[in-house]
Amino acid sequence: MEVRTTRFGTIEIAEDRVIEFPKGLLGFPACKRYCLLEPGEDACFFWLQSLDDPHLAFVVTDPALFVPEYSVPIRQEQIGSLELTKLEDAQVFVIVNKVEDDLTGNLQGPLVINTLTRVGEQIVLAEKRWTTRHPLVKVSPVADRSSRAASA
Amino acid sequence: MLVLSRQRDETIMIGDEIEITVVDIRGDKVRLGITAPTCIAVHRKEVYEAIRRENEQAARIANGDLASLTRPIRPGPERTKTGPSRLASRPVSTDGEANQSKRSAS
Repeated sequence: MEVRTTRFGTIEIAEDRVIEFPKGLLGFPACKRYCLLEPGEDACFFWLQSLDDPHLAFVVTDPALFVPEYSVPIRQEQIGSLELTKLEDAQVFVIVNKVEDDLTGNLQGPLVINTLTRVGEQIVLAEKRWTTRHPLVKVSPVADRSSRAASA
Repeated sequence: MLVLSRQRDETIMIGDEIEITVVDIRGDKVRLGITAPTCIAVHRKEVYEAIRRENEQAARIANGDLASLTRPIRPGPERTKTGPSRLASRPVSTDGEANQSKRSAS
């Protein structure tokens, strides 16, 4: 299927790669269908592109790459709504934001996706241990400028 | 909005299964006890709001914000091939017009 995006132009996505968030993401209840775009081989960051709004895309990452001790407690009824038969089928992502020179991850509102059915949900964690802006990695301002210059 | 007055130790029922009890009142602080089935998520609203705000801010991230990151960073343990790659696609532009460098330059 063809997907219009403002960041990547029109892209072709296989039907079996569509990820559905039946409840949407917090703040974006109307956008329920997404696809995950891999910028390159062995990328740590992915784009979660909405299929319902060409403008809407998030950068997401696997938090295990940055915060090994992080885990998402999933309640029984969430296992049900995600149609998970076993926990190994779940893939956790967190939405990434850029705050000055830091890339931060929203560890308080992780995305859990059933990799078999491609149904996902944004989960709200009650525990205060994790914040919405957990620092993941520093962006070098120098490298940032040079890459912008190169692409201009 | 329905507004009810309650005293300490009095309870409100929501449906058949959700009970909210005023446990304590001290100054401008009210402590509530909530009994609900596990399928009902109970959170302070601030937590929801914080996540919603963060989602909205994160949606403004531009291609250029990540441009410096596509190569050098590879932290943490070895990635398993069964993880994200089972879900991901490559963003191959089919119209050849819009592309990443064009966006990040703007």
